[in-house]
Amino acid sequence: MSFIHYVQKEINCKIVYYGPGLGGKTTNLQYVYNTTPGHMKGRMISLATETERTLFFDFMPLEMGEIKGFKVRLHLYTVPGQVFYNASRKLILRGVDGVIFVADSQEERFDANIEAIYNLKENLAEENYDIMELPYVLQLNKRDLPSAMERDVLAKELNIKGEKVFDAIACQGVGVTETLKEASKQVLMYLRKTQLERGV
Amino acid sequence: MEIYSDGMKDALAGLLGKTGAKTAMLVSREGYNVVEVGDVSYFNTTALAALVAGAFSATREMARMVGEKGFSILLQQGESRHIHISLIQDLLMLVVIFSDNESIGRVRYEARKTSMILADQLAEKGTRTHLESRLEETDFGENAMNLIDRVFQT
Ligand SMILES: Nc1nc2c(ncn2[C@@H]2O[C@H](COP(=O)(O)OP(=O)(O)OP(=O)(O)O)[C@@H](O)[C@H]2O)c(=O)[nH]1
Ligand SMILES: [Mg+2]
Repeated sequence: MSFIHYVQKEINCKIVYYGPGLGGKTTNLQYVYNTTPGHMKGRMISLATETERTLFFDFMPLEMGEIKGFKVRLHLYTVPGQVFYNASRKLILRGVDGVIFVADSQEERFDANIEAIYNLKENLAEENYDIMELPYVLQLNKRDLPSAMERDVLAKELNIKGEKVFDAIACQGVGVTETLKEASKQVLMYLRKTQLERGV
Repeated sequence: MEIYSDGMKDALAGLLGKTGAKTAMLVSREGYNVVEVGDVSYFNTTALAALVAGAFSATREMARMVGEKGFSILLQQGESRHIHISLIQDLLMLVVIFSDNESIGRVRYEARKTSMILADQLAEKGTRTHLESRLEETDFGENAMNLIDRVFQT
């Protein structure tokens, strides 16, 4: 859950990139990191295996600037997609404010996408989150590959609640910013709805 | 959820005074940095908070797997700097960074005392609200959209 620090005047929110192994979650975050100006970002941390597979998480803070005198900071995380790291995924999901699901468009990864969505639903339910309420964006990544499934078919199959869908080629930066922008909007609007005082 | 209270900073400052530690921080379960006291110039506090929360939640799961409820303390000893992390009521982590090897015992003792003070403060929280600043929803949406458009130029 987002954390509004009234004394230090800060708003902190947590967005998690979720999805099947090798789908491009770390690539998304890396691109955001590389394109964010120095004064707006903290260190990026990657807890990964020697072969660059995410082991625990990647993390970077994004300092967005101020709203009504409050500094807004997004805490961006990726989870490890590999099936057997579920314990780690559950830990990273704690306190989440929004999820970006990075799907792998390749036909041979279709089942892996479905499995990851199912796994997300299950893990969120265990933490008493309602996925229908939670800010959520679907990204169809690897649109450049020849075995990518037809866009509309994939979007329909993976959609869980009429969420916005973005096409992406994360390794070229295509669609990365658009996806995060939409997630940020949803997260801040959700925070407004659930945590702010009504004006008089 | 409001997890900050005004006495927290004083409690941490007291701990630094008694132990000679370099830095003390409170980190939330989600990995947010709640309070920091002492020298924070030599590392990135946001990144450390994320790692502390990750490390602590990982050890908690390990504890559960071997039939423990949780480990309450995590101590990392380096050559010249050490990190002592303790859990406060499953809500906050108290992080103490110190460099004098001799003071491990003192840090442990004072951290335990400070944890109790902080736990009391947290228990009182229900009745207290912060009036230093407020954040109302008026104009928030519009301000947020403008900010997002500025940050993410597409
Ligand atoms: N062709 C193509 N390759 C991509 C794209 N996005 C990412 N990749 C590549 O896919 C591989 C895996 O990407 P990662 O970002 O490490 O995947 P991940 O989702 O973080 O994987 P885990 O950490 O194991 O969960 C890397 O070699 C990337 O360069 C894309 O849009 N197109
Ligand atoms: Mg990864």
